[in-house]
Amino acid sequence: MLQFAKFVMTRAIMALITLVIVSLVVFSLMELVPGDCAERYLAFKNTQGSSIQIANELEAERARLGLDRPFLERWGSWIAGAFQGDFGDSCILRVDIAQLLGDKFWISLALCVASLALAYTIAIPVGIIAAASSSAFLNNSLRLFSYLGLALPNFLLALMIMLFATVYFGNTLTGLFSPEFRDADWSWDRFVDLLSHAWLPIFILGWSATAFALQTVRALMSDEIGKLYVTAAAARGVSGGKLLWRYPARHALGPIVNSLGFDLNRIFNELPIVALILTLTEAGALLIEALARSNDQQLAGAIIFLLTASIVTLNFLTDVLLAVLDPRVRKSIIR
Amino acid sequence: MTDQTTNPASAGMSDQKSKEAYFTASQGQLIWARFKKQRAAMIAAGVLVVLLLSGLFAPFLSPYNPTVAGKNDDYTNGAPQIPQFCDDAGCSWRPFVYGVERERSMETNFRWVTKINTDDRKYLSFFVEGWEYKLFGFIPMDTHLFGAPDGFVHLFGTDATGKDIFSRTLHAILTSMQVGTIGVFIAFVLALVIGGISGYYGGWIDSVLQMITDAVRTVPAIPLFMAVAAFMPPELSAESRFFYISMILGLIGWPTLARRVRTHLLTERNQEYVLAAQLCGASSGHVIRRHLLPSFTSYIIVDLVISFPYMVLSETALSFIGLGLKDPVNSLGVMLQNVTSADVLLNYQWYFIPVFFFIALVMAFVFVGDGLRDAADPYSDNNK
Repeated sequence: MLQFAKFVMTRAIMALITLVIVSLVVFSLMELVPGDCAERYLAFKNTQGSSIQIANELEAERARLGLDRPFLERWGSWIAGAFQGDFGDSCILRVDIAQLLGDKFWISLALCVASLALAYTIAIPVGIIAAASSSAFLNNSLRLFSYLGLALPNFLLALMIMLFATVYFGNTLTGLFSPEFRDADWSWDRFVDLLSHAWLPIFILGWSATAFALQTVRALMSDEIGKLYVTAAAARGVSGGKLLWRYPARHALGPIVNSLGFDLNRIFNELPIVALILTLTEAGALLIEALARSNDQQLAGAIIFLLTASIVTLNFLTDVLLAVLDPRVRKSIIR
Repeated sequence: MTDQTTNPASAGMSDQKSKEAYFTASQGQLIWARFKKQRAAMIAAGVLVVLLLSGLFAPFLSPYNPTVAGKNDDYTNGAPQIPQFCDDAGCSWRPFVYGVERERSMETNFRWVTKINTDDRKYLSFFVEGWEYKLFGFIPMDTHLFGAPDGFVHLFGTDATGKDIFSRTLHAILTSMQVGTIGVFIAFVLALVIGGISGYYGGWIDSVLQMITDAVRTVPAIPLFMAVAAFMPPELSAESRFFYISMILGLIGWPTLARRVRTHLLTERNQEYVLAAQLCGASSGHVIRRHLLPSFTSYIIVDLVISFPYMVLSETALSFIGLGLKDPVNSLGVMLQNVTSADVLLNYQWYFIPVFFFIALVMAFVFVGDGLRDAADPYSDNNK
């Protein structure tokens, strides 16, 4: 038990270190943007008609916002806030970022996790069957499908479905909420409404994830199926689905659990593009808004940091899960 | 030759010869021999070569200038024109397309309407002189593979400003390949340096570098690309934008490659043949040059081929969002961005033709990369 606690602690510390490095990268990126918050505020004030002496005011504004402090100090205070969920104010929109993101980030995360779940619900049984069967046709078509998952752009799939829906159902399927629920408080009805809209982004995000997951599951399973312990089990008279589930599938499970973090990473990559096409109102769309239109580095930095933080968290959780499932992993780390 | 089956000695000879050829073959020959056996990878390689060549010779193959300079004012949003040999008025030995006219009158409700004039045949011919260009950037030429000397021919139709989509697609392949090549090159150099240091020194330097590499790898790439691309001053010219984008792709794409370089170095460094060379008194320079590098160049090449489609995909994603290359430049991402309006979906489906080129390019790269990976693995034969 103590050993296990030690393992979890090591992993948690490693995850924290990763997050700190990531925050340094993200924060430096935010700093690299030409112009800082003080200039933005002053530019805004200028449009409001107050006359100002630029040089003096700029210095005063920098001092007020704490921008005159050294880089490392500002990074320290940013990351201290970030771990408490406080990312400061966006200087373009002049509102609190945590408030602005709020639900939107959780909706995005839920969409991505749902598509990840969808991917593996399909990939695990199909991948196992494909690995067990010797049909060249099945294997080749699965391979083609997997590569298509990479090459066929998500937005194209989204566009096709939207076109189809518009022509045949007269419904564009865009957005995440019906108009009457858009700004409403959370309720059961709103949740049902979200579900009725969310299946399309989940399906599109899950499409290429499924293709990749299929390939992973199939490769791992076909590696394991050839091994001697499977032959031994078959010789003892275990056969069919029972043989596959109880022996090779368990061994293949480890690497699959391990790769979940990278799958989530890949889904996050596609989130902004899908959000753009389907005009979703969540974090991916906010990210594009912040980067491509308003150049809002505080908001963008916060979103990228949160996305990465959820990947790191998932990696940590899968590591722990793997250790629970597989004692070899626990021992190898602590040794 | 004929007595080969009857004469056991001669059969043994040829057997030995093929064995000898196998044992003395260079690594390149071995990989090629294994690669040739994979049908899917060979087909993909053929497609890839065709696409690459058509990208390289884009100015020669495309009848019109892909920029605004080559637009056809009379045929905007025009449907693809398919060259034909026969119509109601009889056949001809030369393929032709019909001429188009624009007219505006009471009948058309005073809107410009493009009309196809079936009496006006525009004959196609080979090696037509057209707009001037520089092949490979330095050979000035003005001959094009085909064209319609007294009119216009648009195989893939035209876009909203009358630019020829066929010409744009070919140039887009070239641009995307260039962006990918520069990106992969920068990523590769960084990966060699970082992965090399990490793998060569090992110890705590390795641990620290690996931690940083892993941290960078955890950040989702496309949002990171977007964040970096957003710093580009908007007033940049098209050419400098192009180089910025390639550099960004390279600067962010290195971690995966660096990890592989490190793994190769770490495993190879502890092999017996390295120890043997060192015991024979070889200098480290000699060991690295003559023993280590040849042992994993093939793997590195495979890694480069595999990472190439990701570069192209990233460029596409960036341009698609509007943070990458922009419209006067022809890249696959820009072409894909053009298909997103509902108008295009419902009325101008030929905008989608470049999408198929994009899919074909990425698929070809992935299949070739996969085939190469299997071919470069000396143990792949034993597994089967």
